[in-house]
Amino acid sequence: MGWFIIKRLTSLIPILLGISLITFILLHLIPGDPAVAYLRMSHIPPTDEAVAALRLELGLNKPLYIQYFEWLGNVMQLDLGMSYVSKNAVWDEMLLHLVPTIQLTFAALIFIVVISLPMGMISAIYKGKWVDQFSRVVAFVSVSMPTFWFGFLLIYFLSVKLDLFPVLGRGTLAHLVLPSLTLAFGYIGTNMRLLRASMLENLNEPFVVYARARGVSERRIVSRHVLKKSLLPVVTGLGMSLGNMLGGAVIVETIFAWPGMGQLFVSSIINQDYPMIQGCVLFMSVIFVVCNLFVDLTYSFLDPRIRLEGGK
Amino acid sequence: MLFKRSKLLSLLFVLLLMFVTGCSNTPKGSENTSPKDNEKVVTFSMTGDIGDLNPHTYFPNEFFSQAMVYESLVNYGEGGEIQPWLAESWDVSKDGKEYVFHLREGVKFSDGSQFNAAIVKKNFDTILDNRKQHDWVELINQIKGTEVVDDYTFKLTLHNSYYPTLQELAYIRPLRFVGEAAFPASQDTFKDGLKSQIGTGPWVLSEYKKNEFAVFERNEQYWGTKPQVDKVIVKVITDGESRVLAFEKKELDFIFGNGVISQDSFQFLKDSGKYETKLSEPTATRTLLFNTNKEATKDHKVRLALNYAFNKKAVIDNIFYGMEQKADTLFPPVLDYTKINIDPYEYDTEKAEQLLDEAGWKKVEGKPFREKDGKELQLEFLFNSTDNIQKSIAEFVQGDFRKLGIDIKLTSQETTTFWTTAFQGKYDLLFTSTWAVPFDPHSYLASITTDSENGGPDYTALLGLPEKKEIDKKIKKVLLTTDEKERKKLYTDILTTLHDQAVYLPISFQSNIAVYHKNISGVDFLPQEAEVPLTTIDVN
Repeated sequence: MGWFIIKRLTSLIPILLGISLITFILLHLIPGDPAVAYLRMSHIPPTDEAVAALRLELGLNKPLYIQYFEWLGNVMQLDLGMSYVSKNAVWDEMLLHLVPTIQLTFAALIFIVVISLPMGMISAIYKGKWVDQFSRVVAFVSVSMPTFWFGFLLIYFLSVKLDLFPVLGRGTLAHLVLPSLTLAFGYIGTNMRLLRASMLENLNEPFVVYARARGVSERRIVSRHVLKKSLLPVVTGLGMSLGNMLGGAVIVETIFAWPGMGQLFVSSIINQDYPMIQGCVLFMSVIFVVCNLFVDLTYSFLDPRIRLEGGK
Repeated sequence: MLFKRSKLLSLLFVLLLMFVTGCSNTPKGSENTSPKDNEKVVTFSMTGDIGDLNPHTYFPNEFFSQAMVYESLVNYGEGGEIQPWLAESWDVSKDGKEYVFHLREGVKFSDGSQFNAAIVKKNFDTILDNRKQHDWVELINQIKGTEVVDDYTFKLTLHNSYYPTLQELAYIRPLRFVGEAAFPASQDTFKDGLKSQIGTGPWVLSEYKKNEFAVFERNEQYWGTKPQVDKVIVKVITDGESRVLAFEKKELDFIFGNGVISQDSFQFLKDSGKYETKLSEPTATRTLLFNTNKEATKDHKVRLALNYAFNKKAVIDNIFYGMEQKADTLFPPVLDYTKINIDPYEYDTEKAEQLLDEAGWKKVEGKPFREKDGKELQLEFLFNSTDNIQKSIAEFVQGDFRKLGIDIKLTSQETTTFWTTAFQGKYDLLFTSTWAVPFDPHSYLASITTDSENGGPDYTALLGLPEKKEIDKKIKKVLLTTDEKERKKLYTDILTTLHDQAVYLPISFQSNIAVYHKNISGVDFLPQEAEVPLTTIDVN
């Protein structure tokens, strides 16, 4: 297991380097001059002298590869630069928005797991029955309904009409319910159907027939053998969802006035806050890669064959 | 092994749950802290964060919050009347170049320190150290010196007699005062920000969470009429529809401002009959600006034609539900010096077509758009993509002008990019608006004459006008003239020329809206458009 983890971690290095290079270059492809953007944000007239002086100060006049290595060196020390708008460290601003995002993401993850796994399992066991039909409808609605509409419906009925939850903002646990449910809803359908499909496949495997022949109870077959094996694709699905959600859920955050990464990212784009955009893109990519790693590790935990292969 | 694993999984799950709940229970948001008995709290929302609450800087600071905490020497009152504020009275020298302010005694900053001439000078000086950043305020350019005469007398010396001096002293920024303890070590409040937010105003910032909310408490030491409520909570809500829902749920006590909710939502709330709604007098003008440097729009006839071709009534009826008034002049005629006698360009497509023909843009058989020397009449219309109203109008214009054989190419950009492009003059038609009182008309017109960073794109747009130099000269003159009659004549001249040249296409006069629950009173519109009437608002 340890060997497997080390191997996977090593393979991350070129990926992360690639990400950093792309992030760095991408930003230099955006039209506009960071020095001019900075001056505008600071309400300083971007005269030629001012721009030239600032370019010197920000090191923008150096060759691109030197700029890259300097930037990379700083990034390694978690120094992502200073926001042009707030003049605070990018890393501090990101941390500030990261906590609400993590909160929202994990609350949504709980909803996804708690709703989609049982429903997926039940609809596989009772294939074709009304439960299955119902879950199919839920799945269709989940993947096709726009997030903003679902969010507003939830607010309108559960909050304005029934007065069960606050409309928006961050604060108590009750504030977390509607945004996380809205965020989770879009992922529920996919994960539910994934589990159902993979369970149906596994229910016809020889080991199930053999277990039945041995007289193992159906309950035990499903919970001990089939479910565990069928969870593999769902784990991938969840891992991807996790990466997506941690990157910030712009729409949900906007509707519920939730100060997360999505809002930070969008506002930094609108304000042409170059270091912040760079920081956010880098962060999101890293999160995605790390989530993938996490999925792989979970795989090996759920399926020993992968672990053994990796250990060879 | 199996048992261990499932135990591990459930442990993980429990940890996750604890994390999520743990995060949520950290005390924050004043909605958690139970209000004291009889404590009156009002809650409203704004679209952005209040920033670092520094009266000497701009974005991301908001006007309304700067006005809550910091005060000016004089106040811009009803109808533009200048009232005593932190200065109880003032004397102006005969030549109009010296202003002596007699400061109000007994005014204290929220940290208990005295407000006096020394601190007034100190604030003026730090602002003047960064003159370049504030040069859109002509007064800043006119200030020659500041002087402490005695503890409560402050003298301002100007290069020239400048008539809007008092008016510009009333602006929400930058000429307002922070306490001694607020100054950073470098003493430069513009570059290094404030150490803390200490002002003389009726409110004190008591709790703040970036991008979430700000809580202001009543300043118990306030010298003037104290606010009716004890606390104001300002929530950051970017989405207009969410704002409406939060208001319906009573999480917000009132909605106030311009463009904070859609026209549809305002109409919906009004029609429901459950809430009080109000519409202010016209504040600023929504207008299109022609770029007189571009081939087609350089032509006076083309600009005239477009003015005749624009169906303002249809826009107002369909996009604004008839809530805004039609604009025929660059400024609402209710402002000082802006009432001029002109013939408005009424909607007349025949006249527009005739003018376009005269300008050489002729209809070509079998082609949708007019041509001149083989070139199609295509105009680039630049607007701000984050503004829903601009988008609707732009799309309407595109459809309507097509019928006349004019191809409108819509270009939408995010706010910052939009302004950059606008300042560079890369458009034919630009969606813009005037600045509302107290900036209109004089500060807005002054901005036409300079290429200032914090000014407007009008300077560049009007460069192609043969009369530009003449107009600039008159604007500069009108600001320095001491003769009321002369001033009136010059303003009429300037505004008439701008109208005759048809460089603007005024659409409508925009207003502030207010929607509030029936238990809220005192929601009145203030003379300065950006101010929120928080001192008069009361909860019953």
